[in-house]
Amino acid sequence: MKAASFNYERPKSVRDALGLLAKAEGEARIMAGGQSLGPMLNLRLVQPPLIIDIASIAELRTIEHDGDALVIGACVTHADIEDGRLPDVTHGVLPRIARGIAYRAVRNRGTIGGSLGHADPAADWVTTLTALGASVQLTGAAGQRDLAVAEFIQGALQTALRPGELVTAIRIPSLSSTARFGYAKACRKPGEFAHAMGAVLIEPDKVRNRIVIGAIDTTPIVVNDSSLFGGATTHLTQQFDRALADRLLMQAGVTDPAARHIHVSVLARAIAEATA
Amino acid sequence: MTTIQLTVNGNAIEPTVEPRTHLADVLRDQLDLTGTHLGCEHGVCGACTLLLDGAPARSCITFAVACAGAAITTIEGLDEDEIAAELRTAFAREHALQCGYCTPGMIMSARDLVLRLDDADEQAIRVGLSGNLCRCTGYAGIVRAIRAVIEARRQRGIAAVIGAGRTSLGPVGSHPNTIPTTSPSMPVMTDIKLSSGAAVATLDVPDVIPAKSFDASFTVNAAPEQVFTLFGDARTLAACFPGATITDMPAPDCIEGEIRVAIGPLAAAFRGSARIDRDETNLSGRLIGTGRDQKSRTSTSGQISWRMVPIDDGRKTRVLLTIGYSLSGPLAQIARDGLVRDLASRITTTFAQNCDSYLSGATNQAARDQPQRLNAVGLLLDVALSRLGALVRGLRKP
Repeated sequence: MKAASFNYERPKSVRDALGLLAKAEGEARIMAGGQSLGPMLNLRLVQPPLIIDIASIAELRTIEHDGDALVIGACVTHADIEDGRLPDVTHGVLPRIARGIAYRAVRNRGTIGGSLGHADPAADWVTTLTALGASVQLTGAAGQRDLAVAEFIQGALQTALRPGELVTAIRIPSLSSTARFGYAKACRKPGEFAHAMGAVLIEPDKVRNRIVIGAIDTTPIVVNDSSLFGGATTHLTQQFDRALADRLLMQAGVTDPAARHIHVSVLARAIAEATA
Repeated sequence: MTTIQLTVNGNAIEPTVEPRTHLADVLRDQLDLTGTHLGCEHGVCGACTLLLDGAPARSCITFAVACAGAAITTIEGLDEDEIAAELRTAFAREHALQCGYCTPGMIMSARDLVLRLDDADEQAIRVGLSGNLCRCTGYAGIVRAIRAVIEARRQRGIAAVIGAGRTSLGPVGSHPNTIPTTSPSMPVMTDIKLSSGAAVATLDVPDVIPAKSFDASFTVNAAPEQVFTLFGDARTLAACFPGATITDMPAPDCIEGEIRVAIGPLAAAFRGSARIDRDETNLSGRLIGTGRDQKSRTSTSGQISWRMVPIDDGRKTRVLLTIGYSLSGPLAQIARDGLVRDLASRITTTFAQNCDSYLSGATNQAARDQPQRLNAVGLLLDVALSRLGALVRGLRKP
């Protein structure tokens, strides 16, 4: 199908974009690479009177270092990350995840900020960046604020963005060289959206684990302790408490036993990778 | 209309386009470059893949206005391209096409793989082609053709190029400091659609048999009889529910109204009618409603049943809800119960809080000022909307 009519603005700066957003009083939609919004427009699921295209704003297409952390502009693409056009503070985690997002033709335009702002529960970045402890920089007329990704994502397609605010950057903390990361997802076909997703971060230096179960139609399940391993800190693969994972999924509203089985199996793969 | 500058297959052009027109339509309809094919028009099939600033991109989900200043290469522009020539020969030799519909997009993706893949690994090629659908060949010949071209080139000492040589950050095709010229003479007429032909459904609300149903419940700090009374008063009930407007109440138990809902970028306004049935003996009741969103041409019907159960010696009430709904129309194509539940649970929470504060005497001012917030239909429609989300999931790029 073809999109319904809309007006189009292409601000040169974040400041201009915020001005347009404020003027539109909630009627405008922000578009970055347009790889999620484009299909929705074509199918007329979304018919906003105004599209504000931020993809060409130079200040959103940059990266900077903040101490050990990397601050990635919202309009940096998945392909930019896949190809290593920015420094990697995650020992290969970000490029590896980027490589698995949709298709190359989509990754060449789809952006990390757009993906988070869209907040599809099955999006790779939603789960991965939650596991990595990344935060989102939100900019509005009143100034900037930072929110942990886990707090930013509030549900299926729901975020903590306030009216008039824009996702402007993602802050990725650097991983220590001893940190271990595991990731798995289940898709019917490569590039299709995932039916299950698990990310596991083990940081021996900080005696910390973080396990994230994503693609569950709501906010990801985040476990910040060793409870999924019965409190164990070694031999995690063997200690993985599948029954507890199953219960967490049940509590999160995954009522279909087959779906839970897939989620638990996918998580087990991620754990096995992180502990291998 | 907006005038943009593009370079298409090396030629500078200045087409005038509507913002809503995607790149493929400009190429095909204005420039007669019909080699770029359109299949799904939502980014899944890959037939429209072309090169934007030298990198493959979907021209069906990329609006032409967004490409002002970009260099576009269509299949017609690859006649003299060395890799494309090698691919054409290999495709012909290996029977890598039959009907040819996918082939232009396939060549674009294949060329990108030939540039970027270190070696002719079959798995990597297959994964790399996963965004280009072919319904004729079973891919076997296509994969053989691409392997052959990669092998031959690597043997000739031509190495892979990371990222096909791209060095700048940001979406391909979107150029900083290129601002399209918009003529203000053609305002967008979106509002006209809203106000035209939006006939409110008749009051005759038929019984519905919901296709899907699930339960929800919440606790209110008030006696069951009080809560039951609230549920019987449409205007009060509506005041507690976000997003609803009662436009008319032709009878005490009949409601006409509209509900506006939004999830993320999705927004819809369902208009329709509803009927409330009450059973005072059992402190139970139900609301049956139907509605239609003019923009998406999607209809919904549904039923919300409630029962008040006393808890805490009758000082509090557990409200048990059963929510059933059906959808028909474009939004009904894909359903995911989980999204519906997630949404409904958030709505139920807000609704419960509003009921609670209303019953505890803190009558909310909004309820008085605009006593037209229609609730129960709201739930149905929210559910409908969440289906929107579900459909989008089917299209979504993660």
